[in-house]
Amino acid sequence: MKRLSIFIVSMLASLTSMADWEVNMPRGVSPTANAAYDLHMLIFYITVVIGIVVFGVMFYSIFHHRKSKGAKPASFHESTTVEIIWTVIPFIILVGIAIPSTKTLIMMEDTRDSEITLKVTGYQWMWKYDYVEDDVSFFSKLASDSNQARQLGSKIDVNKVDNYLLNVDNEVVLPTNTKVRILLTASDVIHAWWVPEITGKKDAIPGYVNELWVDIKKPGVYRGQCTELCGKDHGFMPIVVRAVPKQEYTKWVSLNQKNRVADKSK
Amino acid sequence: MTGIKSTILKLSFVVVAMYGFSYALVPIYDTFCEITGLNGKTNQVAYTGNDIKKDNRFVTVKFISNVANSAPLYFEPTVTEMTVQIGKPYNTHYVMKNNSSKKLHTTASPSVTPGKYAEYLKKIECFCFNQQTIDAGEVKDLGIQFVIDNELPQDSGDIVLSYTMFDISDNIKETNKL
Amino acid sequence: MSANIDHLKEEHHQPSGLMRWITTTNHKDIGSLYLWFSLLMFFVGGLMALVIRAELFQPGLQLVVPGFFNQMTTMHALVMIFGALMPAFVGLANWQLPMMIGAPDMALPRLNNWSFWILPFAFTMLISTLFFESGGPAAGWTLYPPLSLQGGNSMPFVIFSIHLLGASSILGAINVIATILNMRAPGMTLMKMPIFVWTWLITAFLLIAAMPVLAGAITMLLTDRFFGTSFFTAAGGGDPVLFQHIFWFFGHPEVYILILPAFGIISTIIPAFSRKKLFGYDSMVYATASIALLSFIVWAHHMFTVGMPLAGEIFFMFTTMLIAVPTGVKVFNWVATMWKGSMTFETPMLFALAFIILFTIGGFSGLMLAITPADFQYHDTYFVVAHFHYVLVPGAIFAVIAAVYYWLPKWTGKMYNETLGKIHFWMTTIFVNITFFPMHFVGLAGMPRRIPDYAVQFTDFNMIASVGAFGFGLSQLLFVYILFSTLRQPVTVADKAWDGAEGLEWTLPSPAPYHSFDTPPKID
Repeated sequence: MKRLSIFIVSMLASLTSMADWEVNMPRGVSPTANAAYDLHMLIFYITVVIGIVVFGVMFYSIFHHRKSKGAKPASFHESTTVEIIWTVIPFIILVGIAIPSTKTLIMMEDTRDSEITLKVTGYQWMWKYDYVEDDVSFFSKLASDSNQARQLGSKIDVNKVDNYLLNVDNEVVLPTNTKVRILLTASDVIHAWWVPEITGKKDAIPGYVNELWVDIKKPGVYRGQCTELCGKDHGFMPIVVRAVPKQEYTKWVSLNQKNRVADKSK
Repeated sequence: MTGIKSTILKLSFVVVAMYGFSYALVPIYDTFCEITGLNGKTNQVAYTGNDIKKDNRFVTVKFISNVANSAPLYFEPTVTEMTVQIGKPYNTHYVMKNNSSKKLHTTASPSVTPGKYAEYLKKIECFCFNQQTIDAGEVKDLGIQFVIDNELPQDSGDIVLSYTMFDISDNIKETNKL
Repeated sequence: MSANIDHLKEEHHQPSGLMRWITTTNHKDIGSLYLWFSLLMFFVGGLMALVIRAELFQPGLQLVVPGFFNQMTTMHALVMIFGALMPAFVGLANWQLPMMIGAPDMALPRLNNWSFWILPFAFTMLISTLFFESGGPAAGWTLYPPLSLQGGNSMPFVIFSIHLLGASSILGAINVIATILNMRAPGMTLMKMPIFVWTWLITAFLLIAAMPVLAGAITMLLTDRFFGTSFFTAAGGGDPVLFQHIFWFFGHPEVYILILPAFGIISTIIPAFSRKKLFGYDSMVYATASIALLSFIVWAHHMFTVGMPLAGEIFFMFTTMLIAVPTGVKVFNWVATMWKGSMTFETPMLFALAFIILFTIGGFSGLMLAITPADFQYHDTYFVVAHFHYVLVPGAIFAVIAAVYYWLPKWTGKMYNETLGKIHFWMTTIFVNITFFPMHFVGLAGMPRRIPDYAVQFTDFNMIASVGAFGFGLSQLLFVYILFSTLRQPVTVADKAWDGAEGLEWTLPSPAPYHSFDTPPKID
């Protein structure tokens, strides 16, 4: 009993050392991420209100319309008027949701007038980045300390690994306040590229090219993961984007142009 | 019992029809995509028309390349970006090198993004219309000739043309065995 | 006249023991076979879920390698959907439909037997692939190519077993439709049928239309892998996204197949325990039919991130949102049934009430997912996992459990222990929320699906979810205990086990006789 309580207390204590109890989507640092967040919150609040109303009525009924309280059952069992009302009102609410949703979607799918093009290729199990205009090209895979720690039975405490599972050897560097067009494809199976704070995800499909755009407003390091099951190491091919001011980006490009990697077998 | 028999017959017909429908979805999907260019697929047969009037509009076309399944190929565009006049035909080419020690059979799959502009990029000649064989160590120039249709919407942005090169040597070997 | 018939019956050799169950063509026997099979598969799938949750209890890999983890997620889904839920609903259909319409049995009793016995064979084959050297299927139950084409030797066996499962469902659906359309007692017009019969009729049509499409899709996978076709590879002029379209054209109606019978059950239980007729019977029928029809034009909402053209994204966003309307109508009608009723809260009613609340929560996350630009952040995260588990577990599964508690007295003539039933209810409901509610949070915070290990900021909620999962699993052992101990009771139940229950089955003795309604009853 004593050992059990020690175990429970230490488990609970260890909880405090673990990071966030994050419950919501990040608002993000780009117009598209912001827009997704705003829509998400709008619909969330609408469903909360509907839930309060509907469940409120239910709970009222459960408390008051019970046999043990002596309630006698009424005999009504249909009403066309009421059916029409509770078909039309939800429909109107949906139209209200559809309008901002459509506007946001159109905005997100407009990749025109981008300054930089970044081609992202998904591999089993890493990413390749090609800066089309700036002629920089490299592979990016899970950082080796994370990779060691994640092996089955490694006995390494993952809480001590820097950004466990969200760190890579070569980061994507992008300039802030620049519209970047991201082209997505894959070499073998379907992957998906996702950095939640900078934009929504899109699939990377072998033989086809998809695109999305980002415009990162705040410098910083943003982390994401592959989000389409792609085999055994699907959970181990993260993405790290470092957003820097334009001059820093230009410097980084010139430093890395020499290390061009051509598309040949590894 | 004839009511039951008749129901069963009709339902069995529906089952078979729906199975057939799933196969019908294949050409339906292709046709839908061809008509609308929606999944970025471009014309698969050479475009032979000559009725596109030249326009004073220009559009930027970007060229990118991919090699599927990490095949032992070098495959890159020689030009990554061209600003082209609508209605005027242009030439460009990709370079492919076989980095392995075996002869390979290859085929390229094109894709245009944004997909809705795929139908306006008409290919007059394209290495993607045919399969290629490439010997060990050989370097090949793969040319395309294309023209942008003047039906291209006025407010279009850049068009990206991508080719993915596949090594299909294994499939060829198996077909030859048959 | 009846004496002659009895004499004939006595001479009719009924096999006993194992042979009875193998050769039975009796809808009640076959219903029981389906239900027991479903219960077994529920635990098999549940065990797989516990492997998943045990590995996800903490970050880092402690128990399994990633490849095996992917086999667990894939098989968990296949077993639960095709082995637990669908057979459970077919079992309920078998037991209830003939009695509810005043028919002696299903239209095709021998086909009924075959439809069942396909299942153990198919599942043995499916589960045996886990023991292959190259392992079982690991590309997700959705089997997207090209990943699924990389699969090992298990692939043809998986495809064959799914074909068999589909065939079983199709044959069952044909049987259901033939029965309902041809064997109703005289006077029972379509709009006088019990609502559970209506929901199963509509579900059966969905099955007939959707399952063959799955058969086509997986056959294409098979030929792409082994017979040189290239439906899904760009090299051969194909498209991996084509598979997704074909799969989800089946897949979306499939999820309605998993919920419409549940709706019918709730529509039966709420009126019974409110002692008040179902509010808006006609509306409920039309709403169910609308949901079924709409389910064919929403499929691409599972594929918003594939790079669909804008027009497609908008179309599917609108149609998916639209499906919330008839679903909402159903919820409102249930509440209106309760309103000014005279409710008691026996175990079936508790599960039905929990269904309404928790399924609706699942519906809310579904509405959020329908919004394409928001879905770009939700897709393939635990937010989706939370959504579908809410609609399937405290949704569909609660309805099945409610149905078992409700009709068990009719099937067996024995009453389960109400106190234990209530304990089972509360434990199940509390643990189901502990398991699945945190998944909304980690999904929104950025945790992808189908990963065996996660970044440390997701630890706390994953721990909670895993604890909940084990609690939920243990609670179901109580359910098994309740079932078995009920079967050991003496027969005590009257014809009408519940004083608010309506329907032809309640005019029969409890337990219902082996053969019932050999002569059809009179309907007024």
